[in-house]
Amino acid sequence: MNATARPRASIWAYRSLIWNFAQRDLKSRFKGTALGWAWSLVAPLAMLLTYSLVFGVFFHSSAPAFGTGRPGFFPVWLLAGLVPWNFFLIAVTTSMPTLLGNGAMLQKVYFPSFAPILGAVMAILVQTLIEFSLLAIVLAGFGNVGWTWLLFPLWLAPFVVFVTSIALTLSILNIHLRDLAHLTNVALQLLFFLTPIIYQLSVIPTSWHGLPMQALVRLNPMAGYVGALRQLAYDLQVPGPAIWLELVAWAAGAAVLAFFVYRWRGLDIGEAI
Amino acid sequence: MTEYAVRAEGLSKRFWLHGERHTSLKQRVVRGKLPKGREFWALRDASFDIERGTTFGLIGQNGSGKSTTLKVLAGIYRPTSGKVVVAGRVSALLELGAGFHGDLTGRQNIRLNGAILGLSGRQVSAAMDKIEDFAGIGEFIDLPVKIYSSGMFVRLGFAIAVSLDPDILMVDEVIAVGDVEFQRKCFDHLFDLRKRGTTIVLVTHSLSLIRDMCDRAMWLDHGRIRQLGPAAEVGDAYLADVNEREMHAIHVAEGQLPAPSASTRLGSGEVRITSLEFLDADSRATPVLLAGAPCTIRMHYIAHEPIRHIIFGIRFMHESGAIVAEPNSGRLGTWSVEAGEGYVDLVIDELPLQPATYQVSTTIVDRGHIFDSADREFDLHVRGHGYQEPGLTRMPGVWREPVAGTGAATVPGAIQEDVRAKQ
Repeated sequence: MNATARPRASIWAYRSLIWNFAQRDLKSRFKGTALGWAWSLVAPLAMLLTYSLVFGVFFHSSAPAFGTGRPGFFPVWLLAGLVPWNFFLIAVTTSMPTLLGNGAMLQKVYFPSFAPILGAVMAILVQTLIEFSLLAIVLAGFGNVGWTWLLFPLWLAPFVVFVTSIALTLSILNIHLRDLAHLTNVALQLLFFLTPIIYQLSVIPTSWHGLPMQALVRLNPMAGYVGALRQLAYDLQVPGPAIWLELVAWAAGAAVLAFFVYRWRGLDIGEAI
Repeated sequence: MTEYAVRAEGLSKRFWLHGERHTSLKQRVVRGKLPKGREFWALRDASFDIERGTTFGLIGQNGSGKSTTLKVLAGIYRPTSGKVVVAGRVSALLELGAGFHGDLTGRQNIRLNGAILGLSGRQVSAAMDKIEDFAGIGEFIDLPVKIYSSGMFVRLGFAIAVSLDPDILMVDEVIAVGDVEFQRKCFDHLFDLRKRGTTIVLVTHSLSLIRDMCDRAMWLDHGRIRQLGPAAEVGDAYLADVNEREMHAIHVAEGQLPAPSASTRLGSGEVRITSLEFLDADSRATPVLLAGAPCTIRMHYIAHEPIRHIIFGIRFMHESGAIVAEPNSGRLGTWSVEAGEGYVDLVIDELPLQPATYQVSTTIVDRGHIFDSADREFDLHVRGHGYQEPGLTRMPGVWREPVAGTGAATVPGAIQEDVRAKQ
């Protein structure tokens, strides 16, 4: 039995610290750059342009029709998939080195190790919300607006929980197994192409050498989140209850995993670094 | 009923010492389960309480577990076993400016640090002026801390730690930095905090700090509590132990090297001081001399040949660097010594030094020629008892009752005029 000298570590109790870490990340990210905040839009726009060019023009990938019935436009459809993916990608890759970066601090003063990670994810979320606004503007420009947009917060909540939990889990495990950062980079690349972002789920053969390929791809949680957002924002349709349940289940599962990993390895970060 | 700020019961902390700490996947696959490494108990079964509003000192040699204890109390480490209860908000000053982020301005760092200590934005705003004022770094407060000088870093760090009104302040020897003026400011502030009822836990090597500031102290030795009690008692016991060990070390060294190695000494070396011994009023060797009491300082020497015309000198330097006294035997003319070992005594009726640790240098000279010079090689610990006056030395003198009048009668008229003219 041991009792520590630490105050109760609930996320709520440390909200002020988490927000401070988020502000710190936001402030230092584009410090000293000429374009400043504009950079947070340059990277996704460049990605959008590249993929639009390669897949939309070279490969003649086509987008499904807008929710309003108008013919679809590939870059807009792609953007609706890239924004949530980018949130996941950047949140995971930037938070993984966060604990190491705060090592000196964690060894000198106590604060729960989840605080800097949650702060980092929150900073990314702020950027992502700007990207979502951009998406909304573009969609509105095409006249593709619907009441289903009002359900966006309901979609965002489980997604943020899911992304944050994955980021926290990987960050903590990374302290003990440094290979994980490299492994994650490889896995993320693979996952990007295994998620229907630049292609529609329907292009995947239902069966491939006896494997139910399409169903397997669909199983991946990111396919669920990206698909649901496209339904809401682009198709202007409400996802069925099974999909909502799926989104919440992934979020809950990831949160439970993060909780146990944190309890198992996240409490002694100060010595492990 | 006594209120406790800290209650620790059977506190232990174990570390695993690995050769290679960062474990890669390859290692895990190739070697199977990780070798656990050698275990090391930094703290073993320590039970102690710290009363609310008192100052608690932690002493011990390097590696005795002081800092580990502090880190466990501050919550940075979890104890391997045992229990610790800390009542109140803890602010730990383990390393100044450790919680700073280079790209943020001083002000933004204050906010971040306040949040780490669990303060709300409003509470930090309320303390902002006080911190700015205490740090005294002017407009640098709005510039990124990466351009700060190390002094400014220290000032801001200390200002933050003490201004955010912690219930318990933990300090790890960090105050020994910064300029003298700032150091004084820090100590004044610590005294002030103590007066206001803040519980302070202090890790230090300065025994005078233990005596001056702490109510109780804990002496740690290889992770275990050696002694726990009133600060002065524990400090003296620790000092006695250190001196004994030092003495032992000197004896061992002497056994191996008949004369102190010339490399660390100046002078031609025909005769050298081998050791200093401090004797109390009863002529017993003691590690600590009592301020104002009779004592003898015995300088042991070894001469490799008979030498004529020598003068012994000894210099006392205060912790602050001031040379307090530098008596020598030259007043009595010069002496001669035979080959072999011997000693010279400096007999003092009333030791005029105030409680502190003095660095002692010795010299053996002959009008410009230096035989031996041991620069700050010895330490003299002076302890006080009863009322202590501030200052470096005890001014001998007797106070008389106040007397009415100008007292001018005793001053010759001409001189008095002169004094007036100058005023």
